[in-house]
Amino acid sequence: MQKPSTYIGLGLFLAFTAFPLLLGIGYALLFSLGLTGILSEGFTLDHWRAVLGSARFWETMAFSIYVALVSIGLAAGLALLLVMRRPRTFENGPLSFFIYLPLAIPSIVMAFLIFQLLSKGGALSRLAYQLGLVDGLSQFPDWVNGQYGIGIITAHFFMALPFFLILYTQMYYHEELKGLMQQAFTLGATRRQANWRVAAPVLLRRSFATVVLYFLFVMGSYEIPLLLGSQSRQMVAVLTIQKLQRFNLGDIPQAYTISVVYSIIVIALVAGLLRKRK
Amino acid sequence: MNRKEQKSQIGWAAPAIIAVLLFPFVFLLMLSLGRRWAYPALLPGAWTLANWQAVWSMQAGLGESLFLSLALSLSITTVSTFGSFWVSKQVAYHRYRHRWLVLAYLPYVFAPVILAACLQYFFIRTGLSGKLEGVALAQFFITLPYGIIFFTSFWTERLLALEQLIATLGGNSWQAYTKVLLPVAKGPILTCFFQLFLISWFEYGLTALIGVGKVQTLTLKVFQYVNEANIFFAALASCLLVLPPIVLLWLNKRYVFSKVI
Repeated sequence: MQKPSTYIGLGLFLAFTAFPLLLGIGYALLFSLGLTGILSEGFTLDHWRAVLGSARFWETMAFSIYVALVSIGLAAGLALLLVMRRPRTFENGPLSFFIYLPLAIPSIVMAFLIFQLLSKGGALSRLAYQLGLVDGLSQFPDWVNGQYGIGIITAHFFMALPFFLILYTQMYYHEELKGLMQQAFTLGATRRQANWRVAAPVLLRRSFATVVLYFLFVMGSYEIPLLLGSQSRQMVAVLTIQKLQRFNLGDIPQAYTISVVYSIIVIALVAGLLRKRK
Repeated sequence: MNRKEQKSQIGWAAPAIIAVLLFPFVFLLMLSLGRRWAYPALLPGAWTLANWQAVWSMQAGLGESLFLSLALSLSITTVSTFGSFWVSKQVAYHRYRHRWLVLAYLPYVFAPVILAACLQYFFIRTGLSGKLEGVALAQFFITLPYGIIFFTSFWTERLLALEQLIATLGGNSWQAYTKVLLPVAKGPILTCFFQLFLISWFEYGLTALIGVGKVQTLTLKVFQYVNEANIFFAALASCLLVLPPIVLLWLNKRYVFSKVI
């Protein structure tokens, strides 16, 4: 038999974590099915048909996945390479402190920084002009608010890279990879073989859940694509909030439909990935 | 490769890496002290402390935002840290702890801003929309699960045995918490406090949506200035935003981030 404190604790846990979530998703589902809301006229699948049949929605989902894949792939990949080649770089000395500094930058500030650096009137464009590489603003490439999300990817990359460098540096020592590498060398492995057959699989396997969570964090990010994205190609959170805040009330059920579909896709993605891992 | 060899190999690169890592902060500081940054000049045309002096002027409202953000984050963090410490114990010792924990991850998986969008109706109906209490409650929905995830690994069999020993020796629950569990958990509590502070301090989407722009935290100020194309004040608000986390880092990076992974 459980103690009363256990019931109170679990009750509080449910009240402040699962309940708001179920309430929100439940309301979004009802709204998307026309069962609630100012303009509701009873059960309908029209909003679901409109969202699932719209190329814009699927393009938004694909764009969100693309941004998350490229930024996290590049950041985690580069961090893995750097830590395998120089595992001690960020472990001791001043770098072990300075590598934490970028974690003090919130998304909105990172977006502002990238805008000031990469936009047509930004610092890099000015530098290119001073070096004689371009003759004016118009010649500088469209890195911010462009179709390929270069600004968004750059911002996420610079936020994720220090995080993965710290993560892999700590894992390298927690997993006692140094000893494992020594064993591999004793058994005749080259440094390259020891890196790719011993260190990389251990680090990748151990960091899998974190990488998946970070991937989802980027996929659902809001501030960075809001400032650095384009109007024609949006990420899912930006599209949802924009539809929700438009003056056209007909867009609101679609915003809720997108929220529900996104939730289902994310749950399926996480369940699939975690099952595959097992 | 021995340690000395490796150190010499990265020795030349270390200052360059440090310069790259410091660049964003120097750049923000430069913009916050600047005026008239016309293209194609590399540096602002004029330098002034007027922007920083305006922090406390009522017109800019930055000082007010700073105070509001600090009060909001500190109170949310305090409640969430101690709340999640106690709740996590009940979750950690439950036989279905893994199932419960999956629920704690969900607010992060769904993206806080989408969660806020789905909950906005209820905040409007309860009169909490656009109010500080509403924003605090919404932030509580994301900080509490994080704290629970964080503390669950703290509650081990050893601690349970320790608690049982206290009971055997005649100690009550209050004594167990005040004399043993809280002192033992001092390090993790500090770490969790700092991390939850950062989550609340950095929050933008959820705060903007539930606060409908009326609860002007510093993150909202940055966005407002960016929208107004006032890059100097946006940089100034950004400096104020990154300052507390840097101070926390300066105090002790071990406490702030060591358990983030």
